[in-house]
Amino acid sequence: MTEHRAGATAPTALPRLVGARVARREDGRFLTGQGSYVDDHRPARLLYAAFLRSPHAHARVVSIAASAALTLPGVAAVLTGEDVARSAKPVRAASKTPAVKVTSFPPLALGKVRHVGEAVVMVAAESRYVAEDAVERILVEYEPIPVVTDMEQALRPESPLLHDEAGTNLLVSREFGRGDVDEALAGAALVVRERFRFHRHTPVCMENRGCLAEYATGSGTLTLRSSAQCPGLVRDVLSDLLDMPEHRIRVIAADVGGGFGAKASLYPEEIATCVMARRLGRPVKWIGDRREDLLATTHAWDEIVEAELGVDRDGAIVGLRAQVTADVGAYSIYPWTAAIEPVQTISFLPGPYRVPTYRGRTRGVATCKAPLGPYRGVGRPPAVFVIEGLMDRAARQLGMDPTEIRLRNFVRDEEFPYKSPSGIVWDRASFTASLLRACEALDYAAVRAEQSRARAEGRWLGVGVASYVELTGIGSAIPVSPGMPIATGTEAATIRFDPAGKVTAVFGIASHGQGLETTLAQIVADEVGVPIDDVRVIHGDTEVSPYGTGTYASRSLVLAGGAAILAGRAVREKMLVIAGHLLEADPADVVMTDGRWAVRGMLDRSVAVREIARAAYTGARRLPTGLEPGLEATRFYDPYYGTASNATHVAVVEVDRETCEVKPLRYVVVEDCGRMVNPLIVDGQVHGGVAQGLGAALLEEVVYDDQGQLLSGTLMDYVVPSACEVPWMEVHHLETPSPVALGGFRGMGEGGTIGAPAAIANAVADALVPLGIEIAELPVTPDRLFRLIERARARG
Amino acid sequence: MKPPKFEYHAPKSLEEALEALGRYGGDAKVLAGGQSLMPLLNFRLARPTALVDLNRIGSLAYIREHNGQIRFGAMTRQRTIEFSPVVAQRLPLLKEATHWVGHLPIRTRGTIGGSIAHADPSAEYPAVLAALEGEVVARGARGERVIRAGDLFQTYLTTSLAPDEILTEVRLPVMPAGAGYALEEFARRHGDFAIIGIAAVVVREGPRCTMARLATAGAGPVPVRLRAAEQILEREGLGEAAIEAAARRATELVTPDADIHASADYRRHLTGVLTKRALTRAIGVARG
Ligand SMILES: Cc1cc2nc3c(=O)[nH]c(=O)nc-3n(C[C@H](O)[C@H](O)[C@H](O)COP(=O)(O)OP(=O)(O)OC[C@H]3O[C@@H](n4cnc5c(N)ncnc54)[C@H](O)[C@@H]3O)c2cc1C
Repeated sequence: MTEHRAGATAPTALPRLVGARVARREDGRFLTGQGSYVDDHRPARLLYAAFLRSPHAHARVVSIAASAALTLPGVAAVLTGEDVARSAKPVRAASKTPAVKVTSFPPLALGKVRHVGEAVVMVAAESRYVAEDAVERILVEYEPIPVVTDMEQALRPESPLLHDEAGTNLLVSREFGRGDVDEALAGAALVVRERFRFHRHTPVCMENRGCLAEYATGSGTLTLRSSAQCPGLVRDVLSDLLDMPEHRIRVIAADVGGGFGAKASLYPEEIATCVMARRLGRPVKWIGDRREDLLATTHAWDEIVEAELGVDRDGAIVGLRAQVTADVGAYSIYPWTAAIEPVQTISFLPGPYRVPTYRGRTRGVATCKAPLGPYRGVGRPPAVFVIEGLMDRAARQLGMDPTEIRLRNFVRDEEFPYKSPSGIVWDRASFTASLLRACEALDYAAVRAEQSRARAEGRWLGVGVASYVELTGIGSAIPVSPGMPIATGTEAATIRFDPAGKVTAVFGIASHGQGLETTLAQIVADEVGVPIDDVRVIHGDTEVSPYGTGTYASRSLVLAGGAAILAGRAVREKMLVIAGHLLEADPADVVMTDGRWAVRGMLDRSVAVREIARAAYTGARRLPTGLEPGLEATRFYDPYYGTASNATHVAVVEVDRETCEVKPLRYVVVEDCGRMVNPLIVDGQVHGGVAQGLGAALLEEVVYDDQGQLLSGTLMDYVVPSACEVPWMEVHHLETPSPVALGGFRGMGEGGTIGAPAAIANAVADALVPLGIEIAELPVTPDRLFRLIERARARG
Repeated sequence: MKPPKFEYHAPKSLEEALEALGRYGGDAKVLAGGQSLMPLLNFRLARPTALVDLNRIGSLAYIREHNGQIRFGAMTRQRTIEFSPVVAQRLPLLKEATHWVGHLPIRTRGTIGGSIAHADPSAEYPAVLAALEGEVVARGARGERVIRAGDLFQTYLTTSLAPDEILTEVRLPVMPAGAGYALEEFARRHGDFAIIGIAAVVVREGPRCTMARLATAGAGPVPVRLRAAEQILEREGLGEAAIEAAARRATELVTPDADIHASADYRRHLTGVLTKRALTRAIGVARG
């Protein structure tokens, strides 16, 4: 399907941009402080918002007395849950599957609070200072009710219930399977089992969440600027909740300082801010501070996975049986629902392997903590930690090398497209090649030899391998989250020439750090044959873009890039017709050379792009008869299933025998995201993803006490890696073009975070083989490792 | 995270500052580098009626050698200390400790007086003050007094300074020529407060140890002088067995607390590990 490759038919004699290491065009403004973030906007008559947040993890709200706040000079208004309920519908993350219980998530607490930090009352005032003073003057009477913070306890019948309407804390329950796994495991030569624990994390974006709502009474339009990944999605749901038509709501996510999935959901503060602004007829801005971010931005992962893997004598997998339990926190988030994390984990558990029999059960359990939401990798960091941990355990017990057992079990190149036991189809991937290449890049044998020498000296050196596959660029065939109420399978691009020959390309996606302004411009420039500087990319603004939802799930380059190819082709075809007319030649004979369109074989007969564009807008006199004036096209793209993206990560670490600190020494990534639009940006995405995965593996953990109080409420307590903690990474690329996605592109924004926790955990376990220690809990902090080592030494 | 309202004074002299402080009867706070106080204000954990800003009092920033002591004006920036030739020569332990204090921008604002007055038990400067048996000078309405390290730190974030007193000077005795020293620290991340830090000084005469000093950061509510461990070295010399014994003794001398980063047991274990490492390195650089 070569005709599906961008540029394969592009009329370009300009240097090909797709594939080039083009420097990110957005960085100039980011690095010089010229970005346009929510907090940069200060319209006239602006009010600043602050939220009173629950100090209790579970309590009935008996009464709210706000008069002392309202009398404070500078306070404009106070909004309670009941006030909001009068002008906005409750948020309910509906689900088409009975596997997910639908529960309400009121923007401000209604009747009771379910986690510490939940928004209870909103204040709008002349400054954030005054708003915070006012918050302190509001008296909320709470009646505490018993708290449940442990997901397994929450499943007991006597546990406090979070949502009466659900009648249970078990909000999600689902099972996948293929074949008779019980029989397979009973007959296996070896069964390894483990109870894995992947603790709670949170992304910590550099820019906290925040939003600014303006209601124009005259036109009846609402504009919400939000630090969000999905402006289209937010616009759609606000229309429903606020009972306003979509064309009267504009959502803008201009520059956004990181999202990592956590800004892909609808948030209570966005709704409350809109309600407040509409009510007062004044702009209202809320900028979350770091405390609010750690308390009330969605958390991630937090799962217990009990898993068993059976292999035959040669290490070939015969079956996998697993149960995932996720602590989904207090609320089911819109639109992904509480199912997104636990169902992703169980769906991706079989990894890149041939797993003939499988049974996976998954459960999502409500507890009195902040809601769980998507975070870079969604479900797959824990899934890969589990399956790769099991592979290593099996290899150790069989006396095989960890690379050997993987090579034996990978889905083979000739087996693609391959349907995984949970029903996901891998179009084509390079599992074997990526592992072999990683071993070569590392010089695996030499590192193993070094490890033997280190061991002889009593040093704890370890090598950890993790191979994974993820589904990216998901089209309309499968929902991004099971049963979710919205469709996310398409994106569109509008490509428009102006009469001067410059191009504006408008997208419904919303880049929030991925460099999409650069990569999409590369694709567009190649398609329509102009220099990249002549292409302006606009995104993240529902008013100007064609319909779309936003940027999440490693989809934007695949979906928006595909749409750009389609729209670019449509424009180019029209350009050929116009050029043919102007050159008095058959359009089939027109070719592009050096930025001019010429007649094949007669290169002196040519027109510039600018002349074609001008002609397009000049009208009938310069256009072929019957050709519609104008030079623009909007095209939608639906990749239908989506496409696989895979990688192998190898970590080499040393564990300090005395302090129990894990020091990463080397880190190799061999990734395959199909045809690379911009290797520089791919490298950057890998670097950032690995840094976050490393944080997840070694440093970061959201900690609550048993009363649901957040103990990791500052960045002194929630420890994210800094530049000093992130090792140098050796990133290598394989380019297996996707056979199913336009352009051959595959998504890769999340991958780094997916592979790193497993690679590091496996490296630590490998280092500690002399002590017989397995790593079943992440993050593996020095304190945890100290206790594991003490216990192992006590065992002797 | 915005502070509640406070009154703000920016006096140009110490006398004015004391006078301003006195006016609030203990309800005002001194602002030095602000690296600890500003977060406390923003979290609304500290709610003083007024701030008395010392940053315009030039006479509070100096490094002087006097009577076998190095004297630091309270407002001397940590970054100045880091690059001071006098400190490098006379108090190399303090120089080494300074590298462990936060990051460059923090040290550029943070002061020695602020760090010591703040009395975070995980901070490096209090441990150095304890190890070197330094003292501080406090000025109040009733005049000036000198407080020894051992009498200064009461518990977490609490000193024996009165609310209307200003710490004006920090005095550290010049380290004996040829003294070995080291500050070993373990933190989750570069630039973080210590989970455990150990400051060590040894003076040797051949195989004999004529003076050993060991103090902790992060091992309890105040910096702990590990006197009994020091005595082992002073008695038994600087051999491997003595170091081991001192390190073991150190673990028995501390009663660390647990937090989300480290259990008490792990902190105690680290106290031993880092004591050994600090002593080994200190002995390595000691002359004599
Ligand atoms: C991200 C970060 C990391 C840090 N890491 C470390 C670290 O690793 N190690 C470390 O030791 N520190 C660390 N710090 C703290 C830093 O060193 C501060 O400089 C120090 O704790 C306080 O000094 P300051 O001058 O900023 O004092 P301020 O913050 O201005 O004041 C602190 C307290 O001391 C009082 N005070 C200040 N000066 C006087 C005085 N002269 N007389 C009486 N009272 C006074 C104030 O009233 C206040 O209560 C870190 C800070 C940050 C923000």
